[in-house]
Amino acid sequence: MDSWVRFNAQSQAKEKVIRAAQYACTLLGYTLQKGGAAAQLHKIICQLEAHMSLTRKLLRLGNSVEALEAAKRAIHLSDSMLRLCLTIGHLNRAMYFACDNILWAGKTGLISNLDQHKWSQRSFRYYLFTLILNLTRDVYELNLLMECEARNRATKSPPSPYPSTALPADHQTYSSSPAALPTVGLPVISVWLRRQFHLLVTVLYSNPPLLLDLLKNSCDIFIPLDRLGIYPTGTGFVGACGLASSVLSILTIIHPWLKLKP
Amino acid sequence: MDAVIQFTSQSQGRDRIFRTTQYACALAAYFLRNTSKRKDLVAKLKSLEVNMSAGRKLFRLGNTVNSIEAARRTMQLSDRALCLCLTAANINRALYFFCDNLLWARSVGLIRTIDKEHWSLNASRFYFLSLVMNLTRDVYVVSQLMLHIARDKHFRQKMAQHLNESPEIAEAVIPQMDAFLFLLLESLKTHPAVALDMVKNVCDLFIPLDRLGIHQSNAGVVGFCGLISSLIGIVTLAQPKLRMKP
Repeated sequence: MDSWVRFNAQSQAKEKVIRAAQYACTLLGYTLQKGGAAAQLHKIICQLEAHMSLTRKLLRLGNSVEALEAAKRAIHLSDSMLRLCLTIGHLNRAMYFACDNILWAGKTGLISNLDQHKWSQRSFRYYLFTLILNLTRDVYELNLLMECEARNRATKSPPSPYPSTALPADHQTYSSSPAALPTVGLPVISVWLRRQFHLLVTVLYSNPPLLLDLLKNSCDIFIPLDRLGIYPTGTGFVGACGLASSVLSILTIIHPWLKLKP
Repeated sequence: MDAVIQFTSQSQGRDRIFRTTQYACALAAYFLRNTSKRKDLVAKLKSLEVNMSAGRKLFRLGNTVNSIEAARRTMQLSDRALCLCLTAANINRALYFFCDNLLWARSVGLIRTIDKEHWSLNASRFYFLSLVMNLTRDVYVVSQLMLHIARDKHFRQKMAQHLNESPEIAEAVIPQMDAFLFLLLESLKTHPAVALDMVKNVCDLFIPLDRLGIHQSNAGVVGFCGLISSLIGIVTLAQPKLRMKP
């Protein structure tokens, strides 16, 4: 009960719960449509989804300021790659929220004659840029951790617990990339790939915040890709991705140690 | 900037801002209602008010649990009067939120069978009872403070000085009444949290009184009272020392 009260006291937490409900409605609406359910029920679900979406737009008023403040903080990071990704990511998020606020004003009738489609597209474009930058940051962090893990393994160099993945002795020095194996055939490349995959799994397993952030951003990216028509996936898939991403976000709020820092 | 971000990151903070906007729109729409040139603006204000109200209803889903939890905490209070008032107020607030949730479900079409008018009156009734209990608590706290201050020697000297300063007024006005008002003002001055809570609850009281038809007031009064109450709510949230405890 106490944890619920604490969770409920955060506006971000409420927004994420509403987002989860919104995408659950999207998914449910798609399922009902596929299953040939009553038109009345489908209409109610769509109505509920629209209501959730509009309320979330209201809840996000003023989030541009938070995103700008986050960008101001990210500018001071020492790692230039992180600084670039996070600062531009937050600036794009601020622009996305600004477009979203204009859309909200249009939907509530505060701004008449607003081209909602144009502003919606603009909003999703900024959202897509934000997600691309977030994913770039995730891949960068992942790469750093994998390099670190590979170095640790090289210094320790214990007998491999996976004999099948061990490279021949004369190729040990080239294990960093398959391109460095000019005379070696397909088996060695597959061994290298297997080793890299094992390294990736190890790194992600030992860094749950990075894994969650990567999954969350990967799920989220399908939403603007679909809405912008770059990669149409359909309502059902968008609903499932949105729901998965929202559940992961809720997890990071409940357990702050699962949140990727900075 | 940090203070604003910290404030808006709280659910209660956002809700207070939306409530302020809602009642500000109601008040502005009331003042502009007869201006023929501003009909478009009035329509926009009313649309915004409705939108804020609907958004707040969804945003308040789950607050019933918070109120029940608060009631469970207040049951442990040692002061019997405070225990009774606060527990009853929190239970009524929980019931008000429950009715509000049902009304929200009705408005989005999830529940069709319920009578909107009946449940709206129920919600107002529980809200009214919650406010009455909160005001009873305020009166009790003020009376305790007055008793405490009246025993203070320094205050007695101050009181005597006040009554001697204007004997002709003291003769015209009932001296006991003058002394009582002086004591009351002194108590509220030294405890601004109690004063703010009292003003807030008195302002809030006009909203259900109007809805229930007990004391009919116009949309302007309701809008003004709601706005004042919301602003006090924002102040008490931004400055925790101005918040009534427990």
